[in-house]
Amino acid sequence: MIIPRIKKTYQDQLVLDFPEMEIPDGSLIAIVGPNGSGKSTLGKILAAVIKADDDCPKISSERVGYMSQQAFAFRLSVKNNLLQNKDTALSKEENEERAEELMKTLRLSELAGKNAAKLSGGQKQRMSLARILMKDYKVLILDEPTASMDSEIIPVAEALILNYQKRTNCTILLITHSLEQAGRLSEKIIQLQNGKPAV
Amino acid sequence: MGQAFQEAISLIVSGDHIVWQIISVTLEMTLLSSFLALLIGVPIGTWLGSATFKGRKALVIIDRAFMGLPPVVCGLFCYLLFSGVGPLRGLHLLYTVAGMVIAQIMLLLPMAVGMTESHVFALAPVIRETTKGLKIGKTRSLFLTINEGRYHIISTYLFLLGRAMAEVGAVSIVGGAIMFKTNVMTTAIMNYTSMGDFKSALALGIILLILSFALNIIGALLQGGKDK
Repeated sequence: MIIPRIKKTYQDQLVLDFPEMEIPDGSLIAIVGPNGSGKSTLGKILAAVIKADDDCPKISSERVGYMSQQAFAFRLSVKNNLLQNKDTALSKEENEERAEELMKTLRLSELAGKNAAKLSGGQKQRMSLARILMKDYKVLILDEPTASMDSEIIPVAEALILNYQKRTNCTILLITHSLEQAGRLSEKIIQLQNGKPAV
Repeated sequence: MGQAFQEAISLIVSGDHIVWQIISVTLEMTLLSSFLALLIGVPIGTWLGSATFKGRKALVIIDRAFMGLPPVVCGLFCYLLFSGVGPLRGLHLLYTVAGMVIAQIMLLLPMAVGMTESHVFALAPVIRETTKGLKIGKTRSLFLTINEGRYHIISTYLFLLGRAMAEVGAVSIVGGAIMFKTNVMTTAIMNYTSMGDFKSALALGIILLILSFALNIIGALLQGGKDK
Protein backbone atom coordinates (compact mmCIF):
# COMPACT_ATOMS: atom_id res chain seq x y z
CA MET A 1 0.00 0.00 0.00
CA ILE A 2 1.41 3.36 -1.01
CA ILE A 3 0.20 6.44 0.79
CA PRO A 4 0.68 9.43 -1.53
CA ARG A 5 1.85 12.78 -0.26
CA ILE A 6 -1.05 14.27 1.66
CA LYS A 7 -1.51 17.89 2.62
CA LYS A 8 -4.40 19.45 4.46
CA THR A 9 -4.90 23.14 5.10
CA TYR A 10 -7.53 24.56 7.45
CA GLN A 11 -8.10 28.30 7.33
CA ASP A 12 -4.76 28.98 5.65
CA GLN A 13 -2.90 26.85 8.18
CA LEU A 14 -1.15 23.69 7.05
CA VAL A 15 -2.22 21.06 9.60
CA LEU A 16 -0.95 17.99 7.78
CA ASP A 17 1.99 17.46 5.45
CA PHE A 18 2.49 13.74 5.20
CA PRO A 19 5.14 12.46 2.75
CA GLU A 20 4.61 9.60 0.32
CA MET A 21 5.10 6.37 2.19
CA GLU A 22 4.97 2.68 1.39
CA ILE A 23 3.33 0.43 3.92
CA PRO A 24 3.67 -3.34 3.55
CA ASP A 25 0.33 -5.03 2.87
CA GLY A 26 -1.02 -6.89 5.86
CA SER A 27 0.98 -4.92 8.39
CA LEU A 28 -0.21 -3.12 11.49
CA ILE A 29 1.16 0.39 11.69
CA ALA A 30 0.57 2.67 14.65
CA ILE A 31 0.32 6.42 14.22
CA VAL A 32 1.02 8.22 17.45
CA GLY A 33 1.38 11.83 18.43
CA PRO A 34 0.04 14.49 20.75
CA ASN A 35 -3.40 16.08 20.37
CA GLY A 36 -3.61 18.23 17.25
CA SER A 37 -0.69 16.52 15.56
CA GLY A 38 -2.84 15.53 12.58
CA LYS A 39 -3.33 11.81 13.34
CA SER A 40 -7.10 11.80 12.93
CA THR A 41 -6.96 14.13 9.92
CA LEU A 42 -4.60 11.67 8.22
CA GLY A 43 -6.91 8.75 9.02
CA LYS A 44 -10.00 10.57 7.76
CA ILE A 45 -8.29 11.56 4.50
CA LEU A 46 -7.09 7.99 3.87
CA ALA A 47 -10.67 6.75 4.42
CA ALA A 48 -12.08 9.54 2.19
CA VAL A 49 -14.14 10.87 5.09
CA ILE A 50 -12.65 14.29 4.40
CA LYS A 51 -10.75 15.57 1.39
CA ALA A 52 -7.08 16.44 1.19
CA ASP A 53 -6.01 19.74 -0.39
CA ASP A 54 -6.93 20.11 -4.05
CA ASP A 55 -3.36 19.65 -5.31
CA CYS A 56 -3.03 16.20 -3.67
CA PRO A 57 -3.59 13.00 -5.67
CA LYS A 58 -6.99 11.39 -5.31
CA ILE A 59 -6.98 8.57 -2.79
CA SER A 60 -8.91 5.41 -3.53
CA SER A 61 -10.95 4.50 -0.47
CA GLU A 62 -12.35 1.28 -1.89
CA ARG A 63 -12.52 -1.34 0.87
CA VAL A 64 -11.06 1.09 3.40
CA GLY A 65 -12.91 1.11 6.71
CA TYR A 66 -12.64 3.89 9.27
CA MET A 67 -13.67 3.78 12.90
CA SER A 68 -14.08 7.29 14.21
CA GLN A 69 -12.85 8.15 17.67
CA GLN A 70 -16.27 9.69 18.36
CA ALA A 71 -17.95 6.23 18.51
CA PHE A 72 -21.31 7.39 17.23
CA ALA A 73 -24.21 5.01 17.82
CA PHE A 74 -27.25 5.11 15.57
CA ARG A 75 -30.59 5.27 17.38
CA LEU A 76 -31.12 1.57 16.73
CA SER A 77 -30.54 -1.54 18.80
CA VAL A 78 -26.92 -2.54 19.36
CA LYS A 79 -27.34 -5.54 17.06
CA ASN A 80 -28.92 -3.40 14.35
CA ASN A 81 -26.03 -0.98 14.61
CA LEU A 82 -23.67 -3.83 13.84
CA LEU A 83 -25.84 -5.00 10.96
CA GLN A 84 -25.65 -1.55 9.37
CA ASN A 85 -22.14 -2.62 8.39
CA LYS A 86 -23.00 -6.10 7.20
CA ASP A 87 -20.67 -7.81 4.79
CA THR A 88 -22.46 -8.13 1.45
CA ALA A 89 -20.33 -11.16 0.59
CA LEU A 90 -21.98 -13.06 3.44
CA SER A 91 -25.53 -14.34 3.84
CA LYS A 92 -27.98 -12.81 6.32
CA GLU A 93 -27.44 -15.72 8.70
CA GLU A 94 -23.65 -15.45 8.45
CA ASN A 95 -23.81 -11.73 9.16
CA GLU A 96 -26.06 -12.32 12.16
CA GLU A 97 -23.70 -15.03 13.40
CA ARG A 98 -20.73 -12.68 13.03
CA ALA A 99 -22.61 -9.95 14.92
CA GLU A 100 -23.44 -12.37 17.75
CA GLU A 101 -19.80 -13.49 17.97
CA LEU A 102 -18.47 -9.95 18.07
CA MET A 103 -21.03 -8.91 20.69
CA LYS A 104 -20.12 -11.94 22.79
CA THR A 105 -16.40 -11.18 22.61
CA LEU A 106 -16.87 -7.53 23.49
CA ARG A 107 -19.42 -8.35 26.23
CA LEU A 108 -22.31 -6.69 24.47
CA SER A 109 -24.61 -9.71 24.17
CA GLU A 110 -26.83 -8.61 27.04
CA LEU A 111 -27.20 -5.20 25.43
CA ALA A 112 -28.03 -6.54 21.95
CA GLY A 113 -31.62 -5.29 21.99
CA LYS A 114 -30.92 -2.02 23.79
CA ASN A 115 -31.05 1.37 22.05
CA ALA A 116 -27.38 1.97 21.29
CA ALA A 117 -27.76 5.74 21.60
CA LYS A 118 -28.34 5.19 25.34
CA LEU A 119 -25.12 3.26 25.97
CA SER A 120 -22.28 4.68 28.03
CA GLY A 121 -19.20 6.06 26.26
CA GLY A 122 -17.21 2.86 26.79
CA GLN A 123 -20.08 0.64 25.65
CA LYS A 124 -20.53 2.78 22.54
CA GLN A 125 -16.88 2.37 21.72
CA ARG A 126 -17.11 -1.41 22.08
CA MET A 127 -20.19 -1.38 19.84
CA SER A 128 -18.37 0.83 17.36
CA LEU A 129 -15.37 -1.53 17.24
CA ALA A 130 -17.66 -4.53 16.80
CA ARG A 131 -19.52 -2.69 14.02
CA ILE A 132 -16.39 -1.87 12.00
CA LEU A 133 -15.13 -5.45 12.35
CA MET A 134 -18.33 -6.81 10.75
CA LYS A 135 -16.87 -6.31 7.28
CA ASP A 136 -13.63 -7.60 5.76
CA TYR A 137 -11.55 -4.64 4.63
CA LYS A 138 -8.35 -4.30 2.67
CA VAL A 139 -7.29 -1.37 4.86
CA LEU A 140 -8.74 -0.64 8.28
CA ILE A 141 -8.16 2.64 10.07
CA LEU A 142 -8.93 2.60 13.78
CA ASP A 143 -8.93 6.01 15.44
CA GLU A 144 -8.37 5.63 19.20
CA PRO A 145 -10.42 2.40 19.25
CA THR A 146 -10.00 1.75 22.97
CA ALA A 147 -9.65 5.25 24.44
CA SER A 148 -12.91 5.16 26.45
CA MET A 149 -12.93 1.46 27.27
CA ASP A 150 -12.52 0.02 30.77
CA SER A 151 -9.01 -1.27 31.42
CA GLU A 152 -10.13 -4.92 31.70
CA ILE A 153 -11.74 -4.94 28.25
CA ILE A 154 -8.80 -3.30 26.44
CA PRO A 155 -6.75 -6.57 26.13
CA VAL A 156 -9.88 -8.29 24.77
CA ALA A 157 -10.37 -5.54 22.18
CA GLU A 158 -6.68 -5.63 21.22
CA ALA A 159 -6.75 -9.41 20.80
CA LEU A 160 -9.86 -9.05 18.65
CA ILE A 161 -8.09 -6.51 16.40
CA LEU A 162 -5.09 -8.80 16.02
CA ASN A 163 -7.30 -11.82 15.25
CA TYR A 164 -9.21 -9.79 12.67
CA GLN A 165 -5.97 -8.83 10.96
CA LYS A 166 -4.78 -12.43 11.00
CA ARG A 167 -8.07 -13.65 9.49
CA THR A 168 -8.44 -10.96 6.80
CA ASN A 169 -4.74 -10.17 6.22
CA CYS A 170 -5.70 -6.49 5.96
CA THR A 171 -3.46 -3.52 6.61
CA ILE A 172 -4.36 -1.76 9.84
CA LEU A 173 -3.50 1.80 10.70
CA LEU A 174 -3.95 2.24 14.42
CA ILE A 175 -4.23 5.86 15.52
CA THR A 176 -3.52 6.12 19.21
CA HIS A 177 -2.14 8.49 21.77
CA SER A 178 -0.83 5.53 23.79
CA LEU A 179 2.76 4.60 23.02
CA GLU A 180 2.31 1.45 25.14
CA GLN A 181 -0.58 0.27 23.00
CA ALA A 182 1.31 1.13 19.83
CA GLY A 183 4.27 -0.90 21.09
CA ARG A 184 2.08 -3.86 22.04
CA LEU A 185 0.23 -4.13 18.74
CA SER A 186 2.18 -2.63 15.88
CA GLU A 187 5.14 -3.61 13.77
CA LYS A 188 6.06 -0.02 13.06
CA ILE A 189 5.29 3.28 14.76
CA ILE A 190 4.95 6.57 12.93
CA GLN A 191 5.14 9.55 15.24
CA LEU A 192 3.39 12.66 14.04
CA GLN A 193 4.40 16.11 15.22
CA ASN A 194 2.73 19.25 13.90
CA GLY A 195 1.30 17.33 10.96
CA LYS A 196 4.62 15.78 9.90
CA PRO A 197 6.31 12.48 10.75
CA ALA A 198 8.90 13.15 13.44
CA VAL A 199 12.41 12.30 12.38
CA MET B 1 -66.90 32.86 29.98
CA GLY B 2 -68.48 30.14 32.11
CA GLN B 3 -71.62 30.37 30.01
CA ALA B 4 -69.56 30.06 26.83
CA PHE B 5 -67.81 26.99 28.24
CA GLN B 6 -71.20 25.43 29.05
CA GLU B 7 -72.36 26.31 25.53
CA ALA B 8 -69.24 24.66 24.08
CA ILE B 9 -69.84 21.45 26.03
CA SER B 10 -73.52 21.38 25.11
CA LEU B 11 -72.67 21.98 21.44
CA ILE B 12 -70.34 18.97 21.43
CA VAL B 13 -72.55 16.71 23.54
CA SER B 14 -75.76 17.60 21.70
CA GLY B 15 -74.08 16.51 18.47
CA ASP B 16 -74.86 19.82 16.78
CA HIS B 17 -74.29 18.90 13.15
CA ILE B 18 -72.99 22.34 12.18
CA VAL B 19 -70.33 22.21 14.88
CA TRP B 20 -69.40 18.63 14.07
CA GLN B 21 -69.16 19.51 10.38
CA ILE B 22 -66.82 22.40 11.24
CA ILE B 23 -64.74 20.15 13.51
CA SER B 24 -64.58 17.47 10.84
CA VAL B 25 -63.41 19.89 8.10
CA THR B 26 -60.90 21.42 10.54
CA LEU B 27 -59.45 18.02 11.43
CA GLU B 28 -59.33 16.88 7.80
CA MET B 29 -57.58 20.05 6.69
CA THR B 30 -55.12 20.39 9.58
CA LEU B 31 -54.16 16.73 9.95
CA LEU B 32 -53.68 16.25 6.22
CA SER B 33 -51.77 19.47 5.57
CA SER B 34 -49.45 19.13 8.58
CA PHE B 35 -48.76 15.45 7.78
CA LEU B 36 -48.02 16.13 4.10
CA ALA B 37 -45.83 19.12 4.96
CA LEU B 38 -43.91 16.90 7.38
CA LEU B 39 -43.64 14.07 4.85
CA ILE B 40 -42.14 16.37 2.23
CA GLY B 41 -40.26 18.70 4.58
CA VAL B 42 -38.35 16.20 6.74
CA PRO B 43 -36.36 14.55 3.91
CA ILE B 44 -35.62 17.96 2.37
CA GLY B 45 -34.60 19.42 5.75
CA THR B 46 -32.46 16.37 6.53
CA TRP B 47 -30.73 16.60 3.19
CA LEU B 48 -30.20 20.36 3.57
CA GLY B 49 -28.90 19.96 7.13
CA SER B 50 -26.39 17.29 6.25
CA ALA B 51 -25.26 18.51 2.82
CA THR B 52 -22.01 20.39 2.35
CA PHE B 53 -22.40 21.85 -1.15
CA LYS B 54 -21.81 25.50 -2.05
CA GLY B 55 -25.07 27.39 -1.90
CA ARG B 56 -26.44 25.43 1.05
CA LYS B 57 -26.43 28.53 3.20
CA ALA B 58 -28.30 30.51 0.53
CA LEU B 59 -31.02 27.83 0.44
CA VAL B 60 -31.27 27.92 4.25
CA ILE B 61 -31.69 31.70 4.16
CA ILE B 62 -34.40 31.44 1.48
CA ASP B 63 -36.20 28.79 3.53
CA ARG B 64 -36.04 30.92 6.69
CA ALA B 65 -37.44 33.87 4.77
CA PHE B 66 -40.39 31.72 3.65
CA MET B 67 -40.94 30.60 7.25
CA GLY B 68 -42.14 34.14 7.86
CA LEU B 69 -44.43 34.23 4.84
CA PRO B 70 -47.66 36.03 5.84
CA PRO B 71 -50.62 33.58 5.49
CA VAL B 72 -52.74 36.15 3.64
CA VAL B 73 -50.02 36.55 1.02
CA CYS B 74 -49.88 32.78 0.62
CA GLY B 75 -53.69 32.70 0.42
CA LEU B 76 -53.70 35.42 -2.22
CA PHE B 77 -51.04 33.59 -4.24
CA CYS B 78 -53.06 30.35 -4.12
CA TYR B 79 -56.24 32.27 -4.96
CA LEU B 80 -54.57 33.67 -8.07
CA LEU B 81 -53.30 30.21 -9.01
CA PHE B 82 -56.66 28.48 -8.56
CA SER B 83 -59.06 31.24 -9.67
CA GLY B 84 -60.71 31.49 -13.07
CA VAL B 85 -57.76 33.43 -14.50
CA GLY B 86 -55.04 31.34 -12.82
CA PRO B 87 -52.90 28.65 -14.44
CA LEU B 88 -54.39 25.90 -12.24
CA ARG B 89 -58.04 26.89 -12.80
CA GLY B 90 -58.70 23.55 -14.53
CA LEU B 91 -58.11 21.70 -11.24
CA HIS B 92 -61.13 23.45 -9.62
CA LEU B 93 -59.35 23.83 -6.31
CA LEU B 94 -60.75 27.19 -5.28
CA TYR B 95 -63.21 26.97 -2.35
CA THR B 96 -62.35 23.31 -1.71
CA VAL B 97 -60.68 21.56 1.22
CA ALA B 98 -58.00 20.28 -1.18
CA GLY B 99 -57.18 23.88 -2.14
CA MET B 100 -56.98 24.84 1.53
CA VAL B 101 -54.66 21.88 2.19
CA ILE B 102 -52.35 23.01 -0.63
CA ALA B 103 -52.26 26.57 0.75
CA GLN B 104 -51.49 25.23 4.23
CA ILE B 105 -48.71 22.99 2.87
CA MET B 106 -47.14 26.03 1.20
CA LEU B 107 -47.16 27.77 4.56
CA LEU B 108 -46.00 24.82 6.64
CA LEU B 109 -43.39 23.29 4.33
CA PRO B 110 -40.68 25.94 4.94
CA MET B 111 -41.23 25.47 8.68
CA ALA B 112 -40.88 21.67 8.43
CA VAL B 113 -37.72 22.09 6.33
CA GLY B 114 -36.24 24.78 8.58
CA MET B 115 -36.89 23.00 11.88
CA THR B 116 -35.49 19.72 10.55
CA GLU B 117 -32.49 21.43 8.96
CA SER B 118 -31.47 23.21 12.17
CA HIS B 119 -31.77 19.97 14.16
CA VAL B 120 -29.85 17.85 11.64
CA PHE B 121 -27.16 20.47 11.10
CA ALA B 122 -25.89 19.96 14.67
CA LEU B 123 -25.77 16.17 14.28
CA ALA B 124 -24.54 16.03 10.70
CA PRO B 125 -20.72 16.08 11.15
CA VAL B 126 -20.58 13.04 13.42
CA ILE B 127 -23.18 11.09 11.40
CA ARG B 128 -21.34 11.93 8.18
CA GLU B 129 -18.03 10.79 9.66
CA THR B 130 -19.59 7.51 10.76
CA THR B 131 -21.52 6.74 7.58
CA LYS B 132 -18.57 7.66 5.36
CA GLY B 133 -16.24 5.59 7.55
CA LEU B 134 -18.58 2.61 7.20
CA LYS B 135 -19.09 3.33 3.47
CA ILE B 136 -22.85 3.54 3.90
CA GLY B 137 -24.56 4.82 0.73
CA LYS B 138 -26.23 8.23 0.50
CA THR B 139 -29.83 6.97 0.55
CA ARG B 140 -29.34 4.78 3.62
CA SER B 141 -27.38 7.61 5.29
CA LEU B 142 -30.38 9.88 4.72
CA PHE B 143 -32.75 7.34 6.32
CA LEU B 144 -30.39 6.83 9.26
CA THR B 145 -30.15 10.59 9.74
CA ILE B 146 -33.95 10.94 9.63
CA ASN B 147 -34.17 8.15 12.21
CA GLU B 148 -31.78 10.05 14.49
CA GLY B 149 -34.24 12.93 14.60
CA ARG B 150 -37.41 10.90 15.11
CA TYR B 151 -38.31 12.52 18.47
CA HIS B 152 -37.71 15.90 16.95
CA ILE B 153 -40.01 14.94 14.06
CA ILE B 154 -42.88 14.46 16.51
CA SER B 155 -42.22 17.91 18.04
CA THR B 156 -42.08 19.39 14.55
CA TYR B 157 -45.37 17.72 13.66
CA LEU B 158 -47.08 19.08 16.77
CA PHE B 159 -45.80 22.54 15.93
CA LEU B 160 -47.09 22.26 12.35
CA LEU B 161 -50.42 20.97 13.58
CA GLY B 162 -50.75 23.91 15.95
CA ARG B 163 -49.92 26.35 13.18
CA ALA B 164 -52.40 24.70 10.81
CA MET B 165 -55.15 24.83 13.41
CA ALA B 166 -54.54 28.46 14.28
CA GLU B 167 -54.29 29.61 10.67
CA VAL B 168 -57.07 31.79 9.32
CA GLY B 169 -55.77 34.13 6.60
CA ALA B 170 -54.90 31.67 3.84
CA VAL B 171 -57.75 29.24 4.47
CA SER B 172 -60.40 31.97 4.44
CA ILE B 173 -59.13 33.34 1.10
CA VAL B 174 -58.72 29.94 -0.58
CA GLY B 175 -61.60 28.14 1.15
CA GLY B 176 -64.07 31.01 1.32
CA ALA B 177 -65.43 29.75 4.67
CA ILE B 178 -68.40 28.09 2.98
CA MET B 179 -70.74 26.50 5.49
CA PHE B 180 -70.83 22.66 5.30
CA LYS B 181 -67.91 22.71 2.86
CA THR B 182 -64.83 24.74 3.75
CA ASN B 183 -65.72 26.43 7.01
CA VAL B 184 -63.12 25.58 9.66
CA MET B 185 -63.02 26.56 13.34
CA THR B 186 -61.00 29.74 12.86
CA THR B 187 -63.03 31.04 9.94
CA ALA B 188 -66.27 30.11 11.75
CA ILE B 189 -65.11 32.04 14.83
CA MET B 190 -64.44 35.04 12.59
CA ASN B 191 -67.88 34.74 11.00
CA TYR B 192 -69.71 34.39 14.33
CA THR B 193 -67.78 37.35 15.74
CA SER B 194 -68.63 39.55 12.75
CA MET B 195 -72.30 38.56 13.16
CA GLY B 196 -72.16 39.51 16.85
CA ASP B 197 -72.77 35.93 18.03
CA PHE B 198 -70.00 36.02 20.62
CA LYS B 199 -71.34 33.07 22.57
CA SER B 200 -70.99 30.68 19.63
CA ALA B 201 -67.64 32.20 18.65
CA LEU B 202 -66.31 31.71 22.18
CA ALA B 203 -67.74 28.20 22.33
CA LEU B 204 -65.96 27.29 19.10
CA GLY B 205 -62.77 28.87 20.45
CA ILE B 206 -62.98 26.64 23.50
CA ILE B 207 -63.60 23.55 21.34
CA LEU B 208 -60.56 24.52 19.25
CA LEU B 209 -58.46 24.77 22.40
CA ILE B 210 -59.71 21.40 23.69
CA LEU B 211 -58.96 19.83 20.31
CA SER B 212 -55.49 21.34 20.26
CA PHE B 213 -54.82 20.10 23.82
CA ALA B 214 -56.07 16.60 22.97
CA LEU B 215 -53.88 16.30 19.87
CA ASN B 216 -50.84 17.62 21.74
CA ILE B 217 -51.38 15.17 24.58
CA ILE B 218 -51.55 12.30 22.06
CA GLY B 219 -48.36 13.61 20.46
CA ALA B 220 -46.59 13.92 23.81
CA LEU B 221 -47.64 10.37 24.74
CA LEU B 222 -46.33 9.10 21.42
CA GLN B 223 -43.05 10.93 21.99
CA GLY B 224 -42.75 9.60 25.53
CA GLY B 225 -43.49 6.06 24.37
CA LYS B 226 -40.84 6.19 21.68
CA ASP B 227 -38.26 7.58 24.09
CA LYS B 228 -38.13 4.33 26.09
